[in-house]
Amino acid sequence: MSVYKRGYQRYSGQLTTPWARFLVLPRYAWRRLYQQRLVLLLTMLAFVWPLVCAAFIYLTNHAELLQGLDPEFRQFIQVDGRFFSIFMYVQAGFAVFIAALAGPGLIAPDLANNALPLYFSRPLTRWTYALARLTVLVGMLSVVTWMPGLILFAFQVGLAGGSWFRANWTLGVGMISGFLVWLLILSLVAMASSAYVKWRVVAAAVSLAFFFILSGVGEMIDQVLRVTWGHIIDPAWAVNQVWCALLGVEAPEGPGAAASAVALAAMILLLVLVIERKLRPVEIVS
Amino acid sequence: MSASERASADAAVVFNEVSKFYGDVLGVNRVTLNIPPGITSLVGPNGSGKTTLMNLMTGLIHPDHGSILMRGISPRDPEALMRITGYATQYDTAPRWATGFTFITTGLLLFGYSRTAAEEKAWKALERVSLTDAANRKVAGYSKGMRQRVRLAQAIAHDPEVLVLDEPLNGLDPLVRAETIALFRLWANEGKHVILSSHVLQEVDLISDQVVLIANGMIIAEGSIRTVREEIEEHPSQYLVRCHDASGVASLLFSEDHVTEIRLNSDRMGLLVMTTDREQFARALGRIALNGHRIEGVVPADENVDAVYEYLIGGE
Repeated sequence: MSVYKRGYQRYSGQLTTPWARFLVLPRYAWRRLYQQRLVLLLTMLAFVWPLVCAAFIYLTNHAELLQGLDPEFRQFIQVDGRFFSIFMYVQAGFAVFIAALAGPGLIAPDLANNALPLYFSRPLTRWTYALARLTVLVGMLSVVTWMPGLILFAFQVGLAGGSWFRANWTLGVGMISGFLVWLLILSLVAMASSAYVKWRVVAAAVSLAFFFILSGVGEMIDQVLRVTWGHIIDPAWAVNQVWCALLGVEAPEGPGAAASAVALAAMILLLVLVIERKLRPVEIVS
Repeated sequence: MSASERASADAAVVFNEVSKFYGDVLGVNRVTLNIPPGITSLVGPNGSGKTTLMNLMTGLIHPDHGSILMRGISPRDPEALMRITGYATQYDTAPRWATGFTFITTGLLLFGYSRTAAEEKAWKALERVSLTDAANRKVAGYSKGMRQRVRLAQAIAHDPEVLVLDEPLNGLDPLVRAETIALFRLWANEGKHVILSSHVLQEVDLISDQVVLIANGMIIAEGSIRTVREEIEEHPSQYLVRCHDASGVASLLFSEDHVTEIRLNSDRMGLLVMTTDREQFARALGRIALNGHRIEGVVPADENVDAVYEYLIGGE
């Protein structure tokens, strides 16, 4: 045995904060994702509707511009829960496609290249890795959902004044929390499909199919069994029920917001389990 | 545990009755090891459990039974463990879109180094594996040897105390291989752990301070190659004796009880002796030399990993 004399000194310099370290992964992922033309194009397109909505808000707050219009119609166009729900439906649709485009590239390449051991050979846990990947998607989708929504809300407050805010602040809270639930579902579905399907195009298709198939199955259950609760397995429908409750808008017939929220919570749990099962640094033979 | 025992455990990689099963499949079974600093090679056939041991050391999997301490740190604490551990897997894990430099720097940012410190350390690591010329090229364009080196660079970039390297010399050309081995020796001399697996037994022989022989998930032997060889009593030790009067020396050695077989070299200037007792053999050779027979040299012929592997694992 050689003679060993310890001449080694551990690093004792300053380290960056845990948050700064955590953000290393999303930062690189965002940079790479926005280099994809389709993702960038879709993100830019997603700003068209918020701009239209901003114009609408401007109009409704400038009565002089609406002088020539029918009084009943003037009464109809208002910035209320229905306005925000319509805004949310459109943006939620864009979010689905952006998640389907961006999501598959997040985990699949790491699994295909056996790169997970590389990540976990850093001061990084499995959950931190998963959270970092989730942050990538939630961050990207936030840019086209609740962030422009919040700007619209602030714009309306700015034009309509404090009294409008006091009467309608719940709309802002409802919109943001409603969007966050949707983003969580979308991101988890994209991550799960990315974790299971290594081929990006197929993973994107699986990600989209998840929503269409569950919607179809829900409809089938309703038709075959002549019930109204079948739609509860359709995440888009369940989220809509929750949104309607949050924005104070009339909801479609079927299970209420509470039941839909429980169904969504179960879906989230299931997706987390699916991802947890796949995100292992070492292939487990069973 | 006394203070000195604790201090020694803090400087060692300790496995205590560790078992790991993958479902019904055995990974490793009741492994107890105490690996001191230096170069340690894990040797065993494919599927023997070498990579499982490495994954256990780096906390990528956790044991079903038993405990592990890496210089006093549990692998269940990745935050503390990975600050002192560097791991290079046997897979090509570097993202192909990244340059070698970006790849290493990103890893260091995850450790919490500032960008300046990370870039400085990344450059130093690339220098150590002679990859500075290709530092700004994409990993996708690297040759197999270069990918192996960049993998090694990411493992050493944060200057770890324990280096765990899965087949680190595969794909390296002879020059880089020699440089890498010299690097291992340098780290070992600094009191670090260099734990590696290799299939090239001659290489293991050349670089290891000690070996861990593993087969079917169980430790067959551990220690310096000489110690391990000495413990294999069922196989007589082999010595090459160079002398002028090979026949005369052979006839004298044959009268010894511990000598089981002698083969004369074709040039009649040497013989291969098999003995069951090394000490008696040494004494006998001394007597023969004193009797006037000129003995030029005695070299153990099976005190190497090759032979030890053959004796302990080869038959399985």
